[in-house]
Amino acid sequence: MYKKLEITIMLVVLALMISCEQDLTFPESYYDCNELVNSPNHPKEDEYSNLISEIVGSGVPGMMLTIHNNQNGYWSGAQGFADLSSGIRLSPCNITRVGSTVKTFTAVTILMLQEEGLLDLDDQITDYLSNNQIKGLENAKESTIKQLLLHSSGIYNYIQSLKFQTASLNDLTKSWGPDELLEQARGKDAYFAPGTDVLYSNTGYVLLGMIIEKVTGKPFYEVFEEKLFIPYDLTFTQFAATDPVPDGIIRGYVDLYSNLNLINATYYSGWDYYTADGGLISNAYDLNKFMTNLFQGDILSQESLKEMMTWVAPKDGYGDGFQTFYGMGIFRIETDFGTAYMHSGDAIGYFASMAYFPKQDVTITWAVNGNYGKVDEFTQSKAAMEKIYGTVLGE
Amino acid sequence: MKYFSLQLYVAVFLLLLSSNLFAQQPITISVFNEATTIPFTTFLNTPMHPGLQIGTEFEGKMKNHFRIYPAVSVGYLFHRNLFQGLYANAEFGVDYKTGAGINIKTKIGLGYLHTFATQQEFQFNGTSYENKGDRGNARIMPSLTIGLGYDLHKNDPQSTEIFFLYQSWIEYPYSPGFIPLMSHTNVHLGTKFYPIK
Repeated sequence: MYKKLEITIMLVVLALMISCEQDLTFPESYYDCNELVNSPNHPKEDEYSNLISEIVGSGVPGMMLTIHNNQNGYWSGAQGFADLSSGIRLSPCNITRVGSTVKTFTAVTILMLQEEGLLDLDDQITDYLSNNQIKGLENAKESTIKQLLLHSSGIYNYIQSLKFQTASLNDLTKSWGPDELLEQARGKDAYFAPGTDVLYSNTGYVLLGMIIEKVTGKPFYEVFEEKLFIPYDLTFTQFAATDPVPDGIIRGYVDLYSNLNLINATYYSGWDYYTADGGLISNAYDLNKFMTNLFQGDILSQESLKEMMTWVAPKDGYGDGFQTFYGMGIFRIETDFGTAYMHSGDAIGYFASMAYFPKQDVTITWAVNGNYGKVDEFTQSKAAMEKIYGTVLGE
Repeated sequence: MKYFSLQLYVAVFLLLLSSNLFAQQPITISVFNEATTIPFTTFLNTPMHPGLQIGTEFEGKMKNHFRIYPAVSVGYLFHRNLFQGLYANAEFGVDYKTGAGINIKTKIGLGYLHTFATQQEFQFNGTSYENKGDRGNARIMPSLTIGLGYDLHKNDPQSTEIFFLYQSWIEYPYSPGFIPLMSHTNVHLGTKFYPIK
């Protein structure tokens, strides 16, 4: 009996040991994109290329960068890999996840709906959301749309819940719907009374997505398509809800244990692929077009744009980062090169950032297919951002 | 290197099994479902992350209804899409034995866990990423366990016991500078039996 038990256990253990999965590999054609995202002969091409090369060479799988100024138009470049397993190089026209940068799209859409007279930023959110939807969300009954946009509602950020964080790690391919995310914030204390301070809250942007749906009668991402993606020719931009891993999306990698040992997170579901606080798929070029059009074009009226840039300073300061002020789906930061209006976004395995410098009329956007652990230091720390801003804007 | 390390673990594991050390002692064997979760906030989590544990309990001391004893175990767990791990664990247990064959069980423990990715890994070599696994990650795993056992023959001191355990444990370190530690639970269903009476 003893020998049989020994052999059985040995076989079970060996069977489990060989269960290490290899990544899917794809042909180069899977990632093919031929669209022109560049103005040729940019005078600073070498400097920008060297910058990307240096960042990728420090331990980032792949990086795409787009710069726009009024003299030279758009410049886009990319280095590193779209897919490490298949050995496919990254192209600036590839698509990637850009996470919370969607909050700027959400805020702009709400402002457009206000311009159309379909809502007013000073409306209570209870005018649009049912008691059942906001049940247990402290401050929700007293909050306005404007406060959700400004992160000044005080409503608990579901991402801060340890129970949620461990649950999302436990089931990495779970699809989290808006109700399930809001459930993580129900019964939690608000951070402060509405309108008395600002603190980043994904929960508020989940609710804003629901308000867009209530007002328009359509999924919020269809409204994004109608009002932003199609009219402004954002051909690389889509929302994850209907196709979470679309063909051609570059692989995303996580440095979960902070040792530059990456695993593929492309098929992890994330937690915000179905809500208006994340889930955007785009690239550095399209994000740049969007930001340039927002601040130099006619996406919003001047009145709406001014309202969007209602800056509020957090009472607790900004830690070691840039001096930061909260606007509606946008932040104002003070850098060595002057003021920037910006937003960044993480998804599991991906990061993107977009910044517009009004003094120079320059838009800088980048996206990488790696995050967490040590990778973040090279792509989204204050030092990393200063390096990128400095290369583009410095003498 | 990864498989060499795993094979080393398996060799130690089998050595323990085949040793006479266990000849006069009970064997505990359990299957369990591992989860990353905050302890005592969830119970049976999905998806299932299976594990297998085998060990023994030493005689210890019996006073009134209380049995106090040391225990050791080794085990394997597979967390889908994330990691697999092999561990060795030492525990200090206190059972309260009711007269009806039901045992209320508690244990505190400290173990060593070695984890490996369940997916293909890419290691940065100073200039680029290459398709290469690392040597895995060394962890300590302090644990607290509660549960119930049932002696099939309540008057036999070497009775076979069926047990159910809720083990809460910490994986430390987890991701230095990012996530300091990770909380897990293992929900065990197992048995203790004496192979040679």
